[in-house]
Amino acid sequence: MVDRSGELSPAILLVDMDSFFASVEILDDPSLRGKPVVVGGDGQRGVVASASYEARRYGIHSAMPMAIALRRCPDAICVPGNMARYAEVSRQVHEIFADVTPIIEPLALDEAFLDVTGAVKLLGTPLEIAHSIRYRINQELHLDCGIGAASSKQVAKLASRSAKPKIVGDRVVPGPGVYVVLDEDVLRYLHPMPVRALFGVGPTTANKLSRLGIETVADLAGLDPSMLERHVGSAVAHLIVDLANGRDDRPVEAGVKNRSIGHEETFSQDSFDRTQLDHRLRRQAQAVSSALRESGQEAHTVTVKIKLSNFEQHTRSLTLEEGLDDHQAIYEVASVLLGDHDISAGVRLMGISASSLRPRGGPKQLHLGLDAGSTADPLVTQEARFELREALDDIRKRFGKQAVGTANLLGEDGLTSPGQRDVAFGAKELPQILGNDEEI
Amino acid sequence: MKFRAERDSLVEALGAAGRAVASRLAMPVLAGLLVSVTNNDLVITGTDGDLSIKVELEVIGVENGSAVIPAKLANDIARSLEPGAVTIEASDESVSISAARSNFSLRTFPVIEFPQVQITSERQLSIPSAALADALRQVVRASSNDDARPLLTGVLLTTHNGALRLVATDSYRLALRDLDGSAAALGEEDILVPSRALTELQRAITGDEDEVVGVTATASEITFSVGNVSISTRLISGTYPDYRQLIPESYPNRLHLGKETLVGALRRVRLLVKDNTTPVRLSMRQGGVDLKVVSQEVGEGAESVDGDFTGEDLVIAFNPSYLIDGIEAVKGDEVIIETSDGTRPATIRAGEADGYRYLLMPVRVS
Repeated sequence: MVDRSGELSPAILLVDMDSFFASVEILDDPSLRGKPVVVGGDGQRGVVASASYEARRYGIHSAMPMAIALRRCPDAICVPGNMARYAEVSRQVHEIFADVTPIIEPLALDEAFLDVTGAVKLLGTPLEIAHSIRYRINQELHLDCGIGAASSKQVAKLASRSAKPKIVGDRVVPGPGVYVVLDEDVLRYLHPMPVRALFGVGPTTANKLSRLGIETVADLAGLDPSMLERHVGSAVAHLIVDLANGRDDRPVEAGVKNRSIGHEETFSQDSFDRTQLDHRLRRQAQAVSSALRESGQEAHTVTVKIKLSNFEQHTRSLTLEEGLDDHQAIYEVASVLLGDHDISAGVRLMGISASSLRPRGGPKQLHLGLDAGSTADPLVTQEARFELREALDDIRKRFGKQAVGTANLLGEDGLTSPGQRDVAFGAKELPQILGNDEEI
Repeated sequence: MKFRAERDSLVEALGAAGRAVASRLAMPVLAGLLVSVTNNDLVITGTDGDLSIKVELEVIGVENGSAVIPAKLANDIARSLEPGAVTIEASDESVSISAARSNFSLRTFPVIEFPQVQITSERQLSIPSAALADALRQVVRASSNDDARPLLTGVLLTTHNGALRLVATDSYRLALRDLDGSAAALGEEDILVPSRALTELQRAITGDEDEVVGVTATASEITFSVGNVSISTRLISGTYPDYRQLIPESYPNRLHLGKETLVGALRRVRLLVKDNTTPVRLSMRQGGVDLKVVSQEVGEGAESVDGDFTGEDLVIAFNPSYLIDGIEAVKGDEVIIETSDGTRPATIRAGEADGYRYLLMPVRVS
């Protein structure tokens, strides 16, 4: 077959790692190879974050409750997950991307868009570039991935799924590894797909569309968006009809910063204890503040969300003139927001998120040291705190997150410094966060 | 209750007392104004539970008595009547407002539900109103409107070397003013007065030459009386931050400038500030100061102002509005800006010491 991928303009790749978390676990513990491995919490509310292809043969997939997964495959090996390690491997993957193009837009630890238009002259056609990326990831990191190539993000993303291995019955059928969709084939490729495949169509929108008799992308493509506006809103209506017709000119955006940085936990058991919540809140504030500083940003809005055991959800937020990146300050604001919330129903989930992010190091209005005691020079204290944080961040960057921390995080096994995500998924002792590395 | 009053003075009195009426109501009756007539004296009282404003007015009394009338509606009606005499008469559950050929009847609130507004007089002092108005103009603007820090939403009244001292800060800047010779009667206790009451007091002061503001205070309340208006407020309880430790004893650098020229230049460069994070940079050097605002999306503006500078050359950045606030409040034509370095507070004061000082924290720029 003739390689016509050079016609793609722009040339966009979506690289999606195969069973990323599970594969990293197998890499680190070769005795797991060939076995059904699931990563996720085994607590009551544990959720599958990633499953090896052996596990998928039993119908296990990510986001599935762990209890169901273990019922389908009682022999599955359940691993609690180590986000810090996955982040490290993800960085190595990104180093390979960076050799190809600087225009990288990460979607998750295991997934990223690459705009390789500018690399074509130097490195070959998009198809060749994709194969060389796969080859290097395989040779250097011993991991597999699927790559979709197209001239739009939407189609590249879908193509990456076509590139991946499939489960047919209880067999794993290898995929082509790289799947290219040329512009002239886009509509033929998209139209048979269910509407759910499109970006912007979640379960709710899909249900609404289904009630209107719209099941496939082809159904959607023939519609006038104004007919849908009443049902799904104007913005979504236009977006999805455009996508269904292959119109998608969203660029790959390198260095897009998150619009918010958050940390939330679903507790393995509902919490009724204000002191315990307070302790969690403090940990979350630390996680959020270190993620903020890692990204070089500070937040002007702090939001606290809680979900009660009856699934009632409350969010409260506060916007401040001053940008925050300090865990103590974030904790203090969050604590005010949590305030005297009625928690008698039991708290199932709690989280802090930081938004209205601005680059750090911009102008900063200094405070008079009103709260300091009369003995200490308040201005020295303020500057000193700033410098202390800088120094701690520097140490963590060089020696790892566990290298230094405050005493309240010291446990029997040393420091349990919380990263934004490196808490196991619904493990019995630790709070759980939801995450999934891919869908099949 | 029945009385007759002239429309304009009635409208003014209803408006003044109505300013204490809160927009969000803890009790329905607080949406009303208590109107009481004794012989020819009319007293109108509005309160939100914390702040009360009482206005006295001479009227033609017909029948003594009281009623609580809906504040906003009564004011709106009175204001739109034809000029001339207005008659107000209360019956059991309503009040009639009539003038010329207009006649309105409004439902009233039970008088018994209206909170008692007490004015006690434990400590007393009187302050010439012109001097107090000056001090309020200089200080109140530095107080905070952030309810999360209630102490800072007030103005501290304290004594300093026999003078009455007013202090306010929002933690970015601090304004302070000493009023000579008026503190003796205040006693040892510091008093923390909500800024809102002082803003109302500023309105009530007419600026007449011989006018005096009477102040009476208890441990929990303070009342200011000026002309026919009395403003009472609950005090803010708590210990005010120790502001004295913030005021540097001396500064290495001093810049002496003409006030109007500086304010004019700052106002012009401030035109480029489109958010509240963009600072103005001051480069202080022999012979004066250069001002510069760089606004990323908009562009930049620079000004140069001549003046006397002593000390080391220095670049320091400020929130331009805070800076203008402090300089505008200076009396006289000259202003002195004293600085240590780019991260320590600067002080703004008049060319000649007059009891006003404005401490301003810089904006740290990289």
